[in-house]
Amino acid sequence: MSSSPALRMEGVRKTYQVADEEIVALDRADLVVGGDEIVALIGPSGSGKTTLCSIAGGLLTASQGTVVVGGNDISDYTSRQLTDFRRTSVGFVFQSVNLVPFLTARENLLVVSELVGRGGRRRRKDAVARTAELLDELGLADRADNLPAQLSGGQRQRVAIGRALMNGPDLVLFDEPTSALDSQLGDQVVKLIRDEMKDRGTAAIIVTHDDRITHYADRTVRIEDGRISA
Amino acid sequence: MFLALREMRRAVVRFGLLVAAIGLLVFLILFQQALQDGLLTSFVGAIRNQSAPVLVYSVDAQRTLQGSTIPPELERQVRGAEGVGRSARLNQSTFTIRIGEEGDSDAAIIGTDDQELVRPTTLTAGRRPEREGEAVGSDGDFRLGARVAVVGSPGVRPAEVTVVGLAEDLQLSVTPTLFTDLDTFRAASMAVNPGATAMLPNAIAVAPADGASAERVAASINSVAPDADALTRGDAADNSPGVAQVRQSFQVIFLLYGLVVPLLTGLFFLIITLQKAGSLTLLRAIGARASVLAGSLLLQVGIVMGLGLAVGVGLFYPLSRTGVGGLSLRFDATAVLAWSALLLGLGLLSALASLRRVLRIDPIEATSGPGVR
Repeated sequence: MSSSPALRMEGVRKTYQVADEEIVALDRADLVVGGDEIVALIGPSGSGKTTLCSIAGGLLTASQGTVVVGGNDISDYTSRQLTDFRRTSVGFVFQSVNLVPFLTARENLLVVSELVGRGGRRRRKDAVARTAELLDELGLADRADNLPAQLSGGQRQRVAIGRALMNGPDLVLFDEPTSALDSQLGDQVVKLIRDEMKDRGTAAIIVTHDDRITHYADRTVRIEDGRISA
Repeated sequence: MFLALREMRRAVVRFGLLVAAIGLLVFLILFQQALQDGLLTSFVGAIRNQSAPVLVYSVDAQRTLQGSTIPPELERQVRGAEGVGRSARLNQSTFTIRIGEEGDSDAAIIGTDDQELVRPTTLTAGRRPEREGEAVGSDGDFRLGARVAVVGSPGVRPAEVTVVGLAEDLQLSVTPTLFTDLDTFRAASMAVNPGATAMLPNAIAVAPADGASAERVAASINSVAPDADALTRGDAADNSPGVAQVRQSFQVIFLLYGLVVPLLTGLFFLIITLQKAGSLTLLRAIGARASVLAGSLLLQVGIVMGLGLAVGVGLFYPLSRTGVGGLSLRFDATAVLAWSALLLGLGLLSALASLRRVLRIDPIEATSGPGVR
């Protein structure tokens, strides 16, 4: 939808100090993701995929380089600014813990709006409407009041996708979204991701080991030893 | 609030059990507090709730009325001490009494030659004695108009006392107590011991002269009369034999409760914080400020403590209307509020360990956290 890039990373480097040794997790990474582009990020374990996504999503700060998301340069954001940025500008679907177990499907979406803590009745009303719309689109309207434990794996992933879209993000980051699903369900979920992203014109990065997912992406980016190769 | 309330609603049993446990502990604390107050009042209520600001015992009496004897020389020294205004003789003894057809029982009779200076501070019913043979009695033990016979020696006619007024918290040494004039006291003593000739006062009650404080007068008496042990009314009550020991025993119990309540609350919230670490990490990752999660935790602690206090007070209140045996368990609103504030504060403090964990959550752990949800 947007012509400006959703993500621009320039010369991003992430290092960790372990005893006297410097570990390079990401080495001078350059990546631009278009406003409605879906990028599959593939690479072996430990190659730096999750690190790259975490920096793009404001979960980690880069040691060097520039990170611009939705036009905002987050390279020098403070921890508090990054927290607010994650709440308002990016969506996450993680590999493991994705839903709050004591909240229903509906509440797992609503919680995004509640975390703002301001805005009162109007904000709440808008959030309730948006939640209903998203659950309906994701085919979960009849499961809105179910707790995560009462949902199937695919339904849980769909709720997580809905939650990631609640804040109208510039960029959604998917970390191995199909790793806990069988191949048929995985296929359905990735197709759903593609449809939802394209319908909204929202950019996405899908971190995966699964080569089949690349068919649904607009572009595939390979990363190895912290370096983006294509 | 969104997170705190929904989590509690989805785990009603878990949180309900904690509320019940805290409620029972609060009930026990309030019950024991009332028991302590009731017990101490039964021991020394007659001293605490009489009107003389200073009581002077003989120094060897170990601060008991009955064990004290004031010889004339000591009485003269006391009355002549600096700052002494009004003073009165005070006698006390325990007698066997009979009311109507009821069986014999014991009662303490306190007699004085100045019923303006030494009298129960407030009456709950009736009036003050106006003539010989009338008395004010402790209200749980006597009824208004009761004619109390002091059982005398064989062949001696019993002395009679009519209860014309009642006052609460007037017992002495857990014994029904009557406040009367010195002549009535003397008549009771003569009924028991007809051969008695002289009757020395057990204590001297003193009111300070204008401008002098009770503490100063007590100090002044003690400095001029080495054989006197002058105490303010409050000190006389607090320093009666056994009072400090009772208070100390209860304080140990209260200290244990003061440890158990926050430990229980703290451990509970630490366990559930550890159990939901994955959820908290996820929430931090999607943009929840640490302060929002900390606030949610403290709100839960506040709600649990508040409900626990309400349950405890709710259980104690009806019991405080009835009492236990001869002891009255009073619902002391100040004590309830003080305990509530203390326990709420301790409860919130107990959540510090959980709070520290919440504040230390690193959102990056969401990319590698355990458990599939």
